[in-house]
Parts: sequence; structure tokens; C-alpha cells
Amino acid sequence: MNKLFPTQEIGSLPKAPWQLAFLRGKTIEDSDLAHLKKWSQVIGFEAEEEVQQLLKTPKTPESEKKMREIVSLFGIRFLEATGLDYIYDGEANRIEMYEHAIRNSQGFQFYGHVRAFDNKYYRKAACVSKAGFGKPYHLDEYRYVSAHAKRKVKVPVTGPYTLAEWSFNEYYQKQLSGKYSDLGNLKLEAKRDFVLDVGKELLRPNLKALVDAGAEWIQIDEPALSTRPEEVPFFVEAFNECTAGLGCRLSVHICYSEYQQLYPSILELKNCSQLALEFANRDDEKRSGYKLVQQLKELGETREIGLGVSDVHVNTIEDPQLISDRIIYASNIIGPEKIYVNPDCGLRTRSWDIVYQKLNSITKGAELARRKLTS
Amino acid sequence: MCSGPIQRIPLVIAHLTGIYPRSENAVGITRAFDRGKASREDVTKATQTDLTNLIAIQKAAGLDLVVDGQLNWQDIFRPFSDIFTGITPGSLSRWFDNNTFYRKPVVKDRVRLGNRTAIDLYFRSDLLPNKQKKAILPGPFTFACASQNEAYPNLPDLIDDVAHALREVVLELEQRGYRYLQFSEPYLTSTTNKTNLQFVKNAYATLSRSGTKSILHTYFNNVEEIIVDLLNFAVDCIGLDLYATPIEPILQYSFTKELNCGCIDGRNSLIESAQDLGSLVEKIQTTISPKALYISPNCDLEFLPYQIAEKKIRLLTELKSKVS
Repeated sequence: MNKLFPTQEIGSLPKAPWQLAFLRGKTIEDSDLAHLKKWSQVIGFEAEEEVQQLLKTPKTPESEKKMREIVSLFGIRFLEATGLDYIYDGEANRIEMYEHAIRNSQGFQFYGHVRAFDNKYYRKAACVSKAGFGKPYHLDEYRYVSAHAKRKVKVPVTGPYTLAEWSFNEYYQKQLSGKYSDLGNLKLEAKRDFVLDVGKELLRPNLKALVDAGAEWIQIDEPALSTRPEEVPFFVEAFNECTAGLGCRLSVHICYSEYQQLYPSILELKNCSQLALEFANRDDEKRSGYKLVQQLKELGETREIGLGVSDVHVNTIEDPQLISDRIIYASNIIGPEKIYVNPDCGLRTRSWDIVYQKLNSITKGAELARRKLTS
Repeated sequence: MCSGPIQRIPLVIAHLTGIYPRSENAVGITRAFDRGKASREDVTKATQTDLTNLIAIQKAAGLDLVVDGQLNWQDIFRPFSDIFTGITPGSLSRWFDNNTFYRKPVVKDRVRLGNRTAIDLYFRSDLLPNKQKKAILPGPFTFACASQNEAYPNLPDLIDDVAHALREVVLELEQRGYRYLQFSEPYLTSTTNKTNLQFVKNAYATLSRSGTKSILHTYFNNVEEIIVDLLNFAVDCIGLDLYATPIEPILQYSFTKELNCGCIDGRNSLIESAQDLGSLVEKIQTTISPKALYISPNCDLEFLPYQIAEKKIRLLTELKSKVS
């Protein structure tokens, strides 16, 4: 793409209230229908009437399948309406970025919940036998999106390090039992084996299935990557193994991290053309958040940067002028041709109104930056 | 430091070291509470059931010290927003390298013991067996480092006041029959330096009591660089995370204190081999001959699902039988 400052989605959207009500078998409220009506008008959603009919029918395997297609289409049209250049469907049918992948893979077992904070919990699986491919868990979703999207498509896929880091490692640690006198070393070596197998055995067949189906750009999401800096080389090795010779464009999304800790190991990624990172969250009026661009450059980073220009944890709408300023600031450091523009991370925790305004402001801000640079 | 009415010390003392996971029932009810679908009474009842079960599990497993599992603690610091003045719970922060978060205590004013009655909400001494009661508190250094300091000119001043406030809590706990106190200090192994250590040492002098045994438990990171300093602290026992601290360097020290071996992994669901862990603990025991040996998980078991935590307790029993 020759267009300067292409804009892209980076993660998941909220779930539509009518989607949740239908799939949970709950009564469809007037507010659900109002949401559908409002956004159908805003984004030009062609399936509004179909949804209304579906919401009147009982939930059956057939109607559930239809609903899953429709919510994917809703996500596609929503993102297109904001003006983004690269889209997906807002991960409309994924439970979340971990469990969906693990439940459709081999070697894992769920025991119960673990607390994340306060009264919030998540299910954490244990790897109890060799990690492996179950089924191409994003393939149907990708086929649907690519068949219906009017913009270019980028497929988000959870990366090997995050899948391993968010799981208990029973199998690989048991394999090494008795081989290390030091428990820390035992755990570390077992982690390496685990991450590598998740990359090679679990993830690679999934990526290959997507590429075989026509995927041109896959974004590997690695929110856990900076958790343990000493383990970044495990990710690099796994990434290189699972993407070797795939023949598609690959990028990596990381957020809320001390990015400097990833270097120099992360420079060894062989097939990665872009790092999409969060910046807006740490910014202020002095552009402090974007000084990181200079630091990354000094660490040897030469790839494209997916520039996070909108903080996904606040409802404030960054106006196009601010977005443009952030883009131009980074552009002056690494050059305009290396900058893609995106929110810091997925916007699933914001309301639909806020998401729409934020994404719309991003696309307007990118356009403003283009005009400034070419005028 | 201990001269009070301590029970006869077994050769090996088995105990738990942190927040215990909630049962699936309590998970469901606390979630429902957040959605307005369950009452506070429902939550209290579920927590009470979990507490009764946890005490029964510990007794049945023959643990030497019994804890209440801190089942109504939202994180290691939260109760102190109620117990102390000057602190409010702030934004979420990652708890070390875990996919678990805590609310940063925001220190807005001088830290003091404010609400003595709140102590009974968070330390359930009434249900614990006499002479086996152990309470777990955040250590003053960890408390200060994990906080957002908006009231003190520097970290040492904050550490000092937190230690004095914790001392007031310790006095209250003594009155409630606690004879073992654990101070959890994960920050000691991650951010400390020699200058800070002197302040931390002073803080433990402030906390020192003759009627209770104190365990300074370190975890998540390697304690090797500061172990010599810790051996001079006014505590009875030093705790190590054997998944973070290699044992060979530790074996070189003349261990003048009691030692807690955090040898059961609270962050992996794999049920370790009692035989393998037993060999490791015996090696430590015979090489450095600590004044007493404690065995425990390396950290809180709340990083595990409930059913796995229970298995880890049974492993602790099995391990004790191998090394006693």
C-alpha cells in the first residue's frame, strides 16, 4: 500500500448486546433492538432485518450458526464504517484470545478458575500432554471475513508465548523431571520446550491453514511477552519456527510492556515486518509516550511500527489534531513510510459509541497527518 | 527473639504461605455479586463455607500451622485500606510476573492503625486452632514499594511508618492468640539494594516481638544476593522460593536462623514428586542445619484452581512424611 499512515484495527470489539442476549437464551430487551437499529443505520448494516427475524426465533444449532455469521458481518461493517484501511471482524465470535485457541487444540485440560483481580477470574488450562493441533480454529472465521470484507484483511492470532505463559506447564516439566537439581532451571527449560511446541505443533498448522485459504497478513498477538524478559528468546525461536516459509505478511502486537526488555532478542524475528505497540497510554502534552519510538530506533529497531494513538482504557476521544501530532512526531523519527496507525490495543472494554468515535478520530487524524506531510 | 508460649517445635513444620483460592462455588457467587445477582450475605456465607473447609483440610492434612486462607482479601494489601488510615485502593497493577493484578495502595496521608475492629474481619482467629494460628501480612518493604506514595518525602519514611502501623496490628494479633506471623516480602528480592536493606532491617526491629515467631518469606525472585543481610534481621525464620533461588549458593551459608523451604510450586498445577522434593529438602537440611525447618508452597496457592490447591496440601503432607 502506497498510502501513508495506513490505519488498522488491532484487537477485539465489544460484543453486541443482542448477540449476547440471543446466545445466552435471554429475553431480547428493547434496548437490544435499539442498539441494533441505531448501529445498523450508522454503519449501513445490510442484515438488520435478518437479525430482527433471528431474534424472534428460538436458539437452535442452525440459528446460532447464523447469528455467529451475522455478528461477524456486523463487526466487519462497523470497522469499515470507521474508515480503517485494514480490518477483521472485531473477533466477534471468539470467547477471548486464550480460551478459544486452547479449547480447540490438543494437550490441554481446564481444572477451574483462577483469580485475575477482585472478583474477576479466568479459566487457566494445564498442558497435560504434548501440545498439538486440534482444528484450524480461525479458518471458518477467516473465510467468512475475507468473503464479506470490502477492505483489506489482517487476521489476529494469539501467539505461542502467550498461549504457553497463560497455561500451566505439567507435561513438559514432567518430561524433564529428575534432569535438573535446581527447580528454577527445571521450570525454565520446560517452559522453553512448551513454548516451542506450541509454536511448531499447535500454531503453525493454524497459520498454514489461514495462508492456504488466502490470508495475506497475520498479526501475532503477544500480550504476555514481556512478563519474563529472560524468556523472550523462547518466543523468538517459536515465532521463527512457526512462521518459516509461510509466505504471508506477519506482524506482532505487544502492549503495556517495558519494550526495551525485549531487545536485542526481538531483533532476531525473521519474518516480522511490523511491531504494533501501545504508546497513547503513556503519552502527555510533551509527547512523552512517543519518545519510545526514538528509544526503539536506538535499540536497532528498523521495522514498521504500528503506532498506538488512542488509549483504550479511557473514554476520552483523542481529537484528529492530537492523533495527527502523535503520528507526525513518530514520523519525524523513523520516517512516514514505516508508520501504521492503530489504537493501543483492542477496544472491547469501551462502549460502542466510544469505540466508533475513537476509531473514526484515528482515521481522520491519519488523514490530517497525510495532508500536513504532503502540503 | 521468641520466648513466648510456643508449641513444641516438630522437626519439620508444614504450613501454607499465602492467599488460598476460592472454591468454584465462591467464584460463582462473587461473580454474581458483581453483577447484582447475589447479596453480600451470599458472599459472606460462601466465604465462611470455604473457610470452614480450608481449616478442615489443613487439620486433616496434619499441617503444623493453620491459616485462614485470607479468603476475603481482594489482594494482599486491600484489608489495610480498612485497617489503616491514610491509604485508599488505587488502580490495578500487575502482581510481579503473574497474570494477576492488585490495586495499588495509594498513600495519601500518614499511615496509622485506624480501625482495630476491622482486624477481625480479615484475620479469622476465632476459627483457628489454638497454638497453631498463623497470620500472614505484607512485609513493610513490599507494602511501601507496591504503593503509590503521595504523602511521604521518601521511601524509608514510608517503610518506617508502615512498620509501626503493622506493629500495632501485630499486637492485636498476639492478643487474639496468633503465635506465628509471616511477613510476605516478594519485593525484597526484586528491587532492593544495600541502602534500602538497612531501612528494612530497622523496620523488622520495629516489628520484633518476643511472644511470636516471625517468618520473613521471600518469593518470585532470587534471594541469593541479600541472604547474608537477611540473616541479621530480627526475625526467626527466613523463607525462600526454591523455584527462584538456586540452592547451591544458599548451601554455603551458616544458617543461623530457621529456614522455610518454599518447595511446592504455587504457580504450576503439576503435582510434584514428593520423592524429588524430599531429596532436595533433605540436602538443604543436612547441609546447612537450620535451627528449624519449615516446608511450604513457594507462594500463595491462589494462582491455582481450587481443586489443585487441595492436592498441593496433600503433597505437603506427603513431603513432610518423607523428610521428618
